[in-house]
Amino acid sequence: MPTELSLTRTLQHTAKWSFTSRRVKRDHAVRLERDVARAATGDLLLGRVALVGAHRRLQLAAGRYADLYEGDVVVLACGCRYASEQFEGIASIDPAGADLLAGGGLVGHVRQAHQRMQPPTRILPIGLLGNPQNRILNVRDYALPARRGGRPPLVVGVLGSAMNSGKTVAAASLVHGLARAGHAVAGIKGTGTGAFGDINAYADAGATFVADFTDAGLVSTYRQPLAGVEAALDTLLVHASAAGAEVAVVEIADGVFQAETAALVRSPRVHRLFDGFVFAAGDPLAATAGATWLAGVGIVPAATTGLLSRSPLAASEAEDATGIAVLTREDLRDPAGATALLARVRAGGRAAGTTAA
Amino acid sequence: MPLGTASLVDTRSGADLDEVAIFERLGQGRLEPPAWVAMPAAVAAGAEPLIAVHGILRRAEEQARLFAACAAALGRPVVAPLFSAETFPRYQRAVHRDRADLALLGLLDALAAELGLATRRFALFGFSGGAQFAHRFAWLYPHRVTHLSLAAAGWYTFPDDAPFPYGLGPAAKRRLDFGRHCRANLRDFLALPIDVFVGAADNAVDENTRSGPAIDSQQGRNRLSRAERWTMALRLRALSLDIAPRITLRILDGCGHDFRQCVELGGLDGLVLPPPNEGDQVSTYPAYAAVPATGEPCQPSCP
Repeated sequence: MPTELSLTRTLQHTAKWSFTSRRVKRDHAVRLERDVARAATGDLLLGRVALVGAHRRLQLAAGRYADLYEGDVVVLACGCRYASEQFEGIASIDPAGADLLAGGGLVGHVRQAHQRMQPPTRILPIGLLGNPQNRILNVRDYALPARRGGRPPLVVGVLGSAMNSGKTVAAASLVHGLARAGHAVAGIKGTGTGAFGDINAYADAGATFVADFTDAGLVSTYRQPLAGVEAALDTLLVHASAAGAEVAVVEIADGVFQAETAALVRSPRVHRLFDGFVFAAGDPLAATAGATWLAGVGIVPAATTGLLSRSPLAASEAEDATGIAVLTREDLRDPAGATALLARVRAGGRAAGTTAA
Repeated sequence: MPLGTASLVDTRSGADLDEVAIFERLGQGRLEPPAWVAMPAAVAAGAEPLIAVHGILRRAEEQARLFAACAAALGRPVVAPLFSAETFPRYQRAVHRDRADLALLGLLDALAAELGLATRRFALFGFSGGAQFAHRFAWLYPHRVTHLSLAAAGWYTFPDDAPFPYGLGPAAKRRLDFGRHCRANLRDFLALPIDVFVGAADNAVDENTRSGPAIDSQQGRNRLSRAERWTMALRLRALSLDIAPRITLRILDGCGHDFRQCVELGGLDGLVLPPPNEGDQVSTYPAYAAVPATGEPCQPSCP
């Protein structure tokens, strides 16, 4: 067992701290709990890379990628992951070896994977990090103060038909267009798996405030109770408002059929938090099915966007089928287009000029 | 950056123009047009600048100089962008291929950083081709404009179904179909205070007047009749949407299609920038107090 001194040296000089652990105060980690099987969601695990697999790089707390090598010492967060094109995994640590579920630093046990995925990068657990009071360090304990009851004047949600349907591009493009039009914009990742790609994209696009659910204490929203995800969203919006954001663009991960996303979108509390939505879809059928499903929960998107918008023919098919205008990423990046979208959102989606006709 | 000061005392406003620095700020190609700036020595706290857009003779400096006195009396800067014929040949359209709207947005951001101007919201004026630009810009970005003043526009975008830019209907080319954005912003645009000016003698059809059966039928034959029709069309459309119109039309007696004449004879500068009410206090701060440059986006700090 490492001494306290050698542990401190390892954590401060050797270990690669992952993105999901970024809010944790490193000097609080002074003990190791060897019983890693007791790990719960959000607990920090110190481990070694046993075998480099699907994830060859780790997103660091510092905001850059680090190549992974066998033997690397890493600080990861135990959690669940839902990614239809990568892994589905749960927050469970096997002392004999765990799986790196996501590049942002989520560790657990892979239950199923997309066929094209290589086996996960394997982690040999060393121990759970503990503080001087023998309490396991958990991301939740370093979250922003929970808040409720405030939000930026306008909140636009970005929903999608599936993973990789174009949500992040749409969200970042809208952030850029609105910022260029003179709005103070917050870019928020509301659900999903902790990773820096999304919030970096929002920051690069000109957001004056960026955050994700890890800032609210969740390393992932998969298998989290709806109330916890709602509370995280509340907290992030209150902090965005306090930072002066006039508009928040909130990306909701995965497709609307994903369990937590579906529950969130159905939630009356969430309906009150959002002024409107745009929907990213990969093809016209997905756009049509999505519009129909969303109509069933009382949502009419202000626009369709996503991968289908790259094809004029696909865009026309979707517009004809749904009556909802399709906007390209160039439309969203254009300050005139973004301003008009905001007007449509404020008008409740089907305002004058909303429909494709 | 060439600096110069006006040397007159304006008899109507009483403002001492020696206290106004008038200079040209150089541009950056398509990203930012050059601009003539009239900067009072003392800028009113939070003063909204007047953005004044020239006609096709491109006399930006003249607009900055002729608005300087009234603006200085209010502690407000004037910014007159210069959309060159080479870089912005169709700036009047605002969203033609040269995208003069984006260039103005870029200029305003730059002036906020360099000079500390409060450019997030501003009063917008345009004369002739500049009035064309100004009303289309305000229609696309109504949240940026506090007051829209248009003088002697040759023609307008109407709130009807004619193809954009004549109306808000679909344009022939999707790339230029900004009518859909204007349709979305219709309510916000119609809620703006809009003052339309035209000279009583500005009723000649000249080589710069876009004419033809379709546009004449939609808008009228000359600038005078077009201003009347557009103003009425906006009012009616506002009322149809239960918006109380704040849209006025003012005919300038004895004035033709001449900006200087409209100012000197018609008092256009004082109409666009009316003097403060007696007893109003205008608190000022020294000009050129640039705001700190913004850096990285705010991220929630760790506890």
